[in-house]
Order: sequence, then structure tokens, then C-alpha cells
Amino acid sequence: MKKALALVLAGTTVVCSLAGCGSSAKTEATAAPAAETTAAQAAAETAAGAAGTESPAADITLWTYPIGSFKDADTVNGFIASFNEKYPDIHVNVEYLDYTSGDDQVTAAIEAGTTPDVIMEGPERLVSNWGAKGKMVDLADLWDDDASKDIAATSEAIVAACKSPDGIYYEYPLCMTTHCMAINYELFEKADALQYINEDRTWTTENFGKALKALKDSGVDTTGVVYCGGQGGDQGTRALAMNLYSAQFTDADHTKWTMNSDAGLKGLTQLVDWTKDGSLSYDAGAVASDELQLFANGTTAMTFCWNASNEANYASSVAFTPYAVAFPSDDGKPELCGGIWGFGIFDNGDAAKIDASKIFIDYLCDDETQGPVSVKSTGFFPVRASFGNAYAGTEDEERMAVYSTFMPYLSDYYNVTAGWAEQRTAWWNLLQQIFGGTDVKTATDEYVAACDAATAAAK
Amino acid sequence: MLKKNAYTKRSKALVWRETVSAYLFLLPALIFFIGFVIVPMVLCLVTSFFNYTMNDYSFVGFSNYFEMFRDPVFKKAFWNTVVIVVVSVPTVTAFSLWVGSAIYQVNAVSRSFFRCIFYLPVVTGTVAVAVVWKWMFNKYTGLFNYALTHMGVIDNNISWLGDEKFALWCIILILFTTSIGQPIVLYVAALGNVDNSLVEAAEVDGATHLQSFWKIKWPSIMPTTLYILVITTINSFQCYALIQLLTSGGPNHSTDTIMYYIYYQAFKLNRYGYGNAMGVILAIIIAAFSALQFKMAKSGNED
Repeated sequence: MKKALALVLAGTTVVCSLAGCGSSAKTEATAAPAAETTAAQAAAETAAGAAGTESPAADITLWTYPIGSFKDADTVNGFIASFNEKYPDIHVNVEYLDYTSGDDQVTAAIEAGTTPDVIMEGPERLVSNWGAKGKMVDLADLWDDDASKDIAATSEAIVAACKSPDGIYYEYPLCMTTHCMAINYELFEKADALQYINEDRTWTTENFGKALKALKDSGVDTTGVVYCGGQGGDQGTRALAMNLYSAQFTDADHTKWTMNSDAGLKGLTQLVDWTKDGSLSYDAGAVASDELQLFANGTTAMTFCWNASNEANYASSVAFTPYAVAFPSDDGKPELCGGIWGFGIFDNGDAAKIDASKIFIDYLCDDETQGPVSVKSTGFFPVRASFGNAYAGTEDEERMAVYSTFMPYLSDYYNVTAGWAEQRTAWWNLLQQIFGGTDVKTATDEYVAACDAATAAAK
Repeated sequence: MLKKNAYTKRSKALVWRETVSAYLFLLPALIFFIGFVIVPMVLCLVTSFFNYTMNDYSFVGFSNYFEMFRDPVFKKAFWNTVVIVVVSVPTVTAFSLWVGSAIYQVNAVSRSFFRCIFYLPVVTGTVAVAVVWKWMFNKYTGLFNYALTHMGVIDNNISWLGDEKFALWCIILILFTTSIGQPIVLYVAALGNVDNSLVEAAEVDGATHLQSFWKIKWPSIMPTTLYILVITTINSFQCYALIQLLTSGGPNHSTDTIMYYIYYQAFKLNRYGYGNAMGVILAIIIAAFSALQFKMAKSGNED
């Protein structure tokens, strides 16, 4: 027994020794930045002096969510090759994340201390999640006056979304869009329901109701599906419920959740009423991808999860004309949820890598030649006003012109409200409850209370 | 005397050398066992007493445990997990025994065919299984709704995974199909190893097929049954992937399980300490259930 115990202790010692080795290595790696930084800076200065271009040496890693063609290795490798022509000593390794398991991979990497240097995603993750928890680098030096003014000229909401409440920039944005919905043009035409949509592709709540009725009368079995089986594509159901009676999702300061306002309750109640009388359907077993598939195969007459990129993705697989429209609102002035995507840098304690990462981000987002190319690869719009119409002269120009008309309807980017992760789960659970028969006010009050508690706890 | 001591010393040295050799052979496995089982278990237990999040690590004593028992979602998840275990374990075991009994005596080709059929869902990836079932359960284009509406069983399509009345049972059904493969293979092997002379002797003495099964075969395959009970119980308690892929715990938490809720708290909300506290409780429950099964199977065997 004693021998066994001794052996276990010996084994533990071996493990601890190995762990110790690991710790030492990590310590060395952590201690190294100062020296490396100096070397890198010296190298950069030398290079700058010799060639007039700053090119520090570093190996950096980029993790990217599937944002347009940033999920495509050929595209990203092409960008890196072009980057390396200018900065040959910065080597970029890429890993591709998906929205199903990407967050888990990042969480595991944060806890294991193996985060990438650069990550591409939206402010709800980079700013209000990882940034708020002190894992990201302040990108203030990328946000110089020129960049700030240029991006603010597109929308002040973008600038606000990329910084924390205390003013630290955790994201440098590349592209943006507004999320909208889409209809099956031919089905609407057959039902004589196109008359309810304005020329500028907006419509009122009243006319939306009339269109649903017209579709049902023309024999359309399932007009649309309010999906609530998970958080995927939940911006669509939020925008639908908000816009019906012009509700706000949070207060202006992003400190409280407000869908239990009269307007919010009215919108949610309207949705429940429509599902009860069969004008609309709901499915607590479906997420946005399922609903999009139903739309694409012609089962439904509309989708609540649409944008320019989705149209490009589904263009070849639909046998009808997907016609993008804004969400219906009582006053005919929609407030559309925005999507903002850009880059952040994880604070790995290595100044050389951080510097190299900033150079890489600057190249992808701001380089006169590469910037517009990067934007076009996402299928969205540039955040920099100076890029103008990035799609001018391309085959996408006409399609993107439609979506650019929705830009003035970009609403407040409330996704950066603290407690966002809890809210997302609570939202689809709220929809499941109210469609399942729970009183709308009771369920919404509980939802708001849970979200407010999460927001308070996150601060 | 001196000679005897020298002999003893030499003997001890030999024993010591052999022991050291044996343990050295075990050392690699031991390192992995300690590193990947013991250390995480200890860390899980320790961190369950901390408010361990992405940016906090403060000692909170038993507050995670107190919170857990006040958490209505945890209670719901616990109840769902119990339902899954209580329904799955007996049905999987009974069905596997029935299929095993039916096919173990047929010819080798047929036996292999049935084993292959029942084992197929086990070797098929969980994601692939989930995708196929999700398609069959689809409210609008699914096979079940198509068949049932055309047979006149239902008037309106049902959202099988989106309806609180059906969702958990759908999960149990899928879990059932992916759980029976291994028990059937084990039962076929165990029944084939039962001493046939005992069965023949009993039948000569006038025992019916049922009597020879319960009095001879059943006790003989009891160790296999015990193993099947334990692994099915553990698998049922750890039901996570199907929930993650099909329902995310919905609708309205009706398919939340403890494992999924641990994942949700740890990976979605970054509350590692709270998740670990739930993990500790789950481990205790599984250990208690397994011990109970061992005890019952042992006493049954002694009878």
C-alpha cells in the first residue's frame, strides 16, 4: 500500500514537474516580450530606415468566424499573400471558426491561455464579452482622427459599438450591414400582396397584416415562421417584434431592457395573435437556418433573417425571386438591427505580436487597395465612408444598391449591452413561452427582470 | 544466520526490482490517468467553491451549491435527466435482452446482419444522426408529419422538437436508438457463452424455455446485465450532444439536462465554478445510482 502511495506521489511529482516545465516555458514566453519587443522595434526601425516601410518580424494567428468569404481559405490566404508582399516578416496563421462551436473554442482558449492574436467578429463578442472581461487590447492607436471621422461619417453607431462604456476601443471595424427580411416575390404577386409594400421596400404593420391575409386567401399554407428554437439568427425575431409598434429593445444608455414597454408588449401580442389565427406560424424547434431553408425551398413566403450576404448565398438555390424588404412598422419607418464585423486583438502579453497584429488589421481594413477588397469579400458594406460604393462596376452593384437603401434605417446597436449572452437565451425562451400560451406580459416581465439581473451582474 | 540475511536481502532486491519494473510499465498510463482524470476531478471539486468566471476567482464556499438548489432551471434539468434515465435504462436493457435472445441462436450470417443493423447508429457520428432525426421531425417537411397526416392520424403538423409535450420523448427515442447497439452485441456474446449443458439438463428435467431462461441463462448473464445497466445509466445521465444539436434545452427548458446546463453555464455564461458545482452533484448522483445497481445486481445474483 505504501509502495502504491509512494508511486502515486512519484507520478504526481512527475506530472507536477511536467506542469512546472510548462509553467517555466510560459513564464519565459511571458518574460520574453520585453526583449522581443525591443528586437522587433529595432528590426522595424532598421527596415523603416532602409526601405521606408515598417516591417517587424512576428508570427501571429488569426481566428475568424464565417463572415462572408472570410470562411474561405483561398480568399484569406490570398489576402495574407498580398499582405506579405508588403510585410514579409509577419507570418499569419489562420483558423476558421463556425458559429456553432466557435464561442466554445475561444472560451477554452482564453482559459488555457492559447488565444489567437487577432480575431474577427462583431462588437457583441469583442467588446461586450471578451473586452469587458479584460482579455482584449485597446486599439485606440488604430482609431486615429482620420479613421474616427471616416467611420463616424457612415454612422456614429458604429463608433459607439466598437468601444466599451468607459471608452476603450476593443474592435476595429471592417464592414457592416442592416438585417432585413425578404419575401417570395412571385407568391406575393400571385396573392396580389405586393400592393402593401412601398416602393422604397418599407411597409406598415397594418399592411403587413393585410399581406398575410392575402397570402392565406391565395392558398399559401405557411406564410412565415417565427423561429425560436435557439439563438441563431435571433436578430430577425427581435427586429420583427420591435418594429411592429416601434418598441426599443434597451434604453439609450444600454443599461435596461425595455421590451416590456407598451409598444414591446403590443408587438409581441400581435405576433401571438397572428400565430393563433394562422396568419403566421411559429416553430420552437427551428432556428434561422431552418427557417431560411424553408424560405429557400418555397415552403414559406417570407423570411425574417435576411441580408445582402444571405441573398448571395441562396441566389443559386432558389427557384423564385427573393425580394428584400424592411421589417414592417406602425409608422412605416423601420429601425433595422445592424451587423458590424471587424477585428480585435487578444492580450497575450507579447508586444511584438500585438504590434504585428495591428499592422495586419490596418492593412486589411484601411489599405487603399486591400480595404475595399476585404469589404467586398464579406458581402457587406464598408464602415469607412471614404471607400464609397465598394461594389461600383462589379456584378454585385445592382444587388448591393438595394441593400444600401436600408442603411438609413440602421438603429441603435444595443448588442453591446452587458449581459448580452444571457439575454440571447432568454429571448428565444420568451418567444417559446408566449407562443406556448403563457401570458405575454407575465413572460415579458420575467424576461426583462432576468436580463436586467444579468446586466447588473456583468457590471 | 548471516547467510539467511544475505538471501533475504537478495530476495527483497529482486522483488523490489520487479515491483519497480511493473510500476514503471504502468507509469505512462498512470500519468495520463492522474493528469486527465484525477487532477481535473480535484480541480472541479475545488473550483466549485469559487466564483470562477473569466475575470473573477473568489472563494464563495457553498454558495454555488445553495444557488443550484434554488435555480428553477437546474431543478427542471435535474427532473428531465431523471426521466431520461428512468425511461431509457430499463427500455434499452429489456429491448437489448429481447433482441439478443432472439438472434443469438440464428445462423452466423443472420446474426452478423442484425448486429450490424443495430450497431450502425452507434458508429454513426452523433451529428449525422441528429441531422437525420431533425429532418424526420421537421414540422413542415418531416417524414413523421408526412406519414401521420397521410394516414389520418393527425390533422395538423406537429413541431416534434418544438412542443413541450413531445420534445423530451423525441430525445429519448433518439437516445434509445443510439444506445441499444452495444448492449445487443454484449448480450449476444454473453448468451452464446452460457453453458448449454446446464440448459439441456434443465430441459431434460422438464423445465420450460422460460424457466430455463430465468433460472439458468439470466443468472449466467447477470455480470453483463450489470455492466449494461451501469453504462446505460451513465450515458443517459450524460445526455448532452443530442440536446445541443437538436433543441438547445428548449422548448421552455423542457429538454434541459444537467449536462447541457453545465455546458450552458460554463461555456455560454463563463460561470465555470457554478458549472463545476453541478458537475460534482452529477458525479455523486451517477456514483450513487451505479452503487445501487451493483448492490441490487449482486443481491439478485446471490439469491
